[in-house]
Amino acid sequence: MPHPHPSHTHPHHADHEHGKPLIRFDHASFRYPHGPALEDITLEIADGEFVGVIGPNGSGKTTMLRAILGLMPPATGSLQIFDCACQNLRCHHRSRIGYLPQKRAVDPNFPITVREAVLMGRAGAIGLWKRPGKADLAIVRHALEDVGMEDYEDHPLGALSGGQQQRVFIARALAQHPQILLLDEPTTGIDTTTQHNVLDLIQRLHEELHLTIVLVSHDINLIAPLAERLALLKTRLYALGPAKQVLTKEILAQVYGPQILTTDTGHVIVADHHHN
Amino acid sequence: MVDFLTLGFFQRSLMAAALTGGVCAVIGVFVVLRGLAFIGAGIAHAAFAGVALAYLVGGPPMPFAIAFGLGTAWITGLLEEQGRMKLDVSIGIFYTATMALAILFIGLMKTYNAEVYGYLFGSILSVTADELKLTAGLATVVVGLLALFAKEFFFLAFDQEMAEASGVPARRFFFLLLTLVALTIVVSLKTVGAILVFALLLIPAATAYQLTSSLRRMMAYSVAIGVLVSVAGVLLSFQFDLPAGPAIVLLATGVFFLAVAFSPKRAPKPALS
Repeated sequence: MPHPHPSHTHPHHADHEHGKPLIRFDHASFRYPHGPALEDITLEIADGEFVGVIGPNGSGKTTMLRAILGLMPPATGSLQIFDCACQNLRCHHRSRIGYLPQKRAVDPNFPITVREAVLMGRAGAIGLWKRPGKADLAIVRHALEDVGMEDYEDHPLGALSGGQQQRVFIARALAQHPQILLLDEPTTGIDTTTQHNVLDLIQRLHEELHLTIVLVSHDINLIAPLAERLALLKTRLYALGPAKQVLTKEILAQVYGPQILTTDTGHVIVADHHHN
Repeated sequence: MVDFLTLGFFQRSLMAAALTGGVCAVIGVFVVLRGLAFIGAGIAHAAFAGVALAYLVGGPPMPFAIAFGLGTAWITGLLEEQGRMKLDVSIGIFYTATMALAILFIGLMKTYNAEVYGYLFGSILSVTADELKLTAGLATVVVGLLALFAKEFFFLAFDQEMAEASGVPARRFFFLLLTLVALTIVVSLKTVGAILVFALLLIPAATAYQLTSSLRRMMAYSVAIGVLVSVAGVLLSFQFDLPAGPAIVLLATGVFFLAVAFSPKRAPKPALS
């Protein structure tokens, strides 16, 4: 049973009233075979909230998203999504979480049109044994309209620019009719103007579709103005709260070391910064 | 319903060529897109080792080939998943180890057995009615499952982790895909042989890949190419008294290079008219 499109249920919900918690980490730790990825995380994210996850490379930001997707059960502690233990996340629950993975190179020759790529977002909601129908194609079109890519439905995905591909992948996540949208470095690898377009789009989706957003970024300055709360990670959760509380010299120095600078305008400069 | 028993050997080999070419081309699309080409080669050689063992111990060749083929498919699949070893390294080891086993088994046989070599090079002109039935049955199963779960398999081929995250049980489908690849290869051993089956998996799909930017069309083109070159290859082999397997593969290779030369992805020209 497809959910009604969120834009119809929550039109122009810009006032950020938050509902009950959708994501609940309770002293949760996550490990990879070679060592800990996240330690003792306690964090609640409410329905309709916009949380930015920041931290140095290798601090467990992507792991946090993978955990929310139910791809990594906690080694200790618990993680509940939609009141479901994450390791028991049923497939139909997963389809309520839209995910934009870290941008990887799309093989420019992979034979897939924009429509076919966005339609993949419907796979979980349609379920096994069934084929996509007219309703799914309408949802695909709607999702492409939401990201301003409706004129490219029949274009080969590989022929689009990096920013356009990113919009298409956001449309794919939207086609799931998600309640939660997880974005992993959505602005990496695209030019500055496009970066701001993509962030504006995310902000608009948050406000108009009332989506709960968890956005991971190494670029503190880009997401600080957007997110209602920031979670600063370095294996542990060092700070959580509005940007003003988190982005203090003392806290940042703890996590990034002495190479961090903050300007009077609240701008953060990390020296010796490596992207991935 | 075709009565396979009343067909002459000529019709039987044409049917076998069309079926093998078609089913290999269908599954080949996923093999090419998901990057499993090398796994296919490993499975083919392992299956041949199974056949050699069957002849050595006097067992039935098909079950032995299936056991060896599936074993290789699943183990290499697990290795890929764990990412402990580079896939080309682990398959390379399997590939040569199973080939060594095959040669060992053949060497241990007391007498020269020409039938074993039929599985290596294929013998499409001597396909029996039973073998044709088996091929038809398998083609139905493979194509049926791929059609039933087309959206899952395409998603998997495009981005497996994303598919898993979207609520598709991608891991199960990955192993189902490996299983279908192994079964396709095993059943094609008799018709085109262990060495050449790989070409039928790869070339029609790779050719179709050159010609279109749509998944659905890639599938359609691949099947058309697979069936046409296989049937044309058999006809050529009759006409000019050539071995059928190489005729099919070289014809497919020719079509592939034509597609590369005229690919709309490379040149701003329309595709082959």
